[in-house]
Amino acid sequence: MLGALRSELVRVRRRGLLLGWFGLMALFAVMVNTIMFSTAGDGAALPEGAPGVAFPSATALATPDGLTAGLPAAASMFGVVTLSFWAIAVATDYSTGLIRLLVAAMPRRWPLLVGKVAALTLLTAVATGVATVVNVAVAPPAAQAAGIDTSAWSAGALGTVASTWASTLAALLVWGVVGLAIAYLTRSSAIAISVGVGYVLVLEPMLTRLLDGDPAWLLGRTLTALAQGGTPSIALGTAIASAATYVALGLAGAAAVLVRRDVTD
Amino acid sequence: MGVVETSELTRRFGSITAVDGLTLDLPAGGVIGLVGPNGSGKSTLIRMLLGLIRPGAGSAHVLGASIAQPARYAARVGALVERPAFVPGLSARTNLRALARLRGLPDDRVDEVLGIVGLTGREREPVKRFSLGMQQRLAIAAALLPDPELLVLDEPTNGLDPAGIVEIRALLMALGRSGRTVVVSSHLLAEIEAACDWIVVLRFGELVFSGPTEALLARTRAHIDLRPEHATDLPALLAALQAAGWAAAREADLIRVVATADRAAALNRAASDSGVTLAHLVVVQDSLEDVFLAMTGRSDGELAVARAGAVA
Repeated sequence: MLGALRSELVRVRRRGLLLGWFGLMALFAVMVNTIMFSTAGDGAALPEGAPGVAFPSATALATPDGLTAGLPAAASMFGVVTLSFWAIAVATDYSTGLIRLLVAAMPRRWPLLVGKVAALTLLTAVATGVATVVNVAVAPPAAQAAGIDTSAWSAGALGTVASTWASTLAALLVWGVVGLAIAYLTRSSAIAISVGVGYVLVLEPMLTRLLDGDPAWLLGRTLTALAQGGTPSIALGTAIASAATYVALGLAGAAAVLVRRDVTD
Repeated sequence: MGVVETSELTRRFGSITAVDGLTLDLPAGGVIGLVGPNGSGKSTLIRMLLGLIRPGAGSAHVLGASIAQPARYAARVGALVERPAFVPGLSARTNLRALARLRGLPDDRVDEVLGIVGLTGREREPVKRFSLGMQQRLAIAAALLPDPELLVLDEPTNGLDPAGIVEIRALLMALGRSGRTVVVSSHLLAEIEAACDWIVVLRFGELVFSGPTEALLARTRAHIDLRPEHATDLPALLAALQAAGWAAAREADLIRVVATADRAAALNRAASDSGVTLAHLVVVQDSLEDVFLAMTGRSDGELAVARAGAVA
């Protein structure tokens, strides 16, 4: 299993892949902070159920959590990026035919899945770290430009940053597992990414409007709540339970497909 | 016990039977050629032996272990299946390092196999810049990583130039002589004839022949073509030869006699005794390709028709 992890770490360290992944995370961190603070400063608000984002109020931004509020606000966007890169990492094995060599070398197959999940978890932690660093760098000037008081941010800033990094990472790992499962099922990163983007931008906002209340089982809502440490409508415990269910289903589906399906690619 | 043994091994894909009740016993050591037309089941057989796909029926053993438990022999087998498979943006060395780590092998082994296939000096280049021939060499290097007892190579000379083919053939023969067993699938019969000690011929997933190369070559036949100086002499010559007991038949403007080269002089004398002067006498030896085509079908079109009939 350690061999599978070490092998995976060698293969995912592709400059294009990492620059794309970390670059998009940084870009979204900048974008969301800029929009979030300027919108709050104007006193305006995005409509309820706007796809991919969950902005806090100006009052909330002035609390110690305001420093890192951009991370959970952009959790769904980060989530789609993470889903995409996990899907690419899986689908590349099939598109290049590498899966034949991997399975021939490790016929039990499930260690390949464990190694891939472990390697991608490490990279997701780094990508979340990049987004966190960019967020912490961008938030103060964005807040000052919007006229939001940041005097409370310095209190326990390190702890706030660490806990937000951890909760955002937890949410992104679920997104990643979903992307991994779709990619194993379809053997296509394009389909996995389309499903992810389509779900976040189209399907979930539609479902949110169609369904009464704020269903805790909707992926984006659940994971945003997880990243935020719970919301008024979805408690942290509920979010964790839903997320755990998604992870269990995703990993079980991926494992079943990888272990049982013939390698004909 | 053979290096590969199969018993009634079968695999179907929908209505197509890719491998049909295949019973094989391949000897250890040397180079074994796996030949057959497109769709004959070569790749399906290789994939089943490597644990990539599961058989529908029957059983097989590789290096003494059942293919139901490929993990028991995976560390002793190296493989190239269909086409080279690498991450294009990574260098040759990094790609091999990833595979070496998967198998728990030291990085030194990567340099060794790069040397064996002649890619030393090119190892830092990304694979996407490699020609197909270089990718093929790299794939063979990947197959050699575990220093395997059994090397399974699916079309290993695809994309190689003539010099590369000769080089890889020499490498395969050297590997075969070193005590390993090398199973090579190929469409190039000349390559198989030159490199292999044992040949397996498949058709529609069924075994047509399995045995030493010499045994297959022994099936080749010779004939002698005769053409008289005057075309009007053809009927008289044919009658004379047949009366003398020769297996002769008319083929357009010549007479074809089933006979080996050492009978050419006797034939010439028989023609002369019947008062016919020969303008042309040629000994024709069947090639391995003729034997192969006679076993598997004359052409792809003929195969397609036959297969359609078999499926119907």
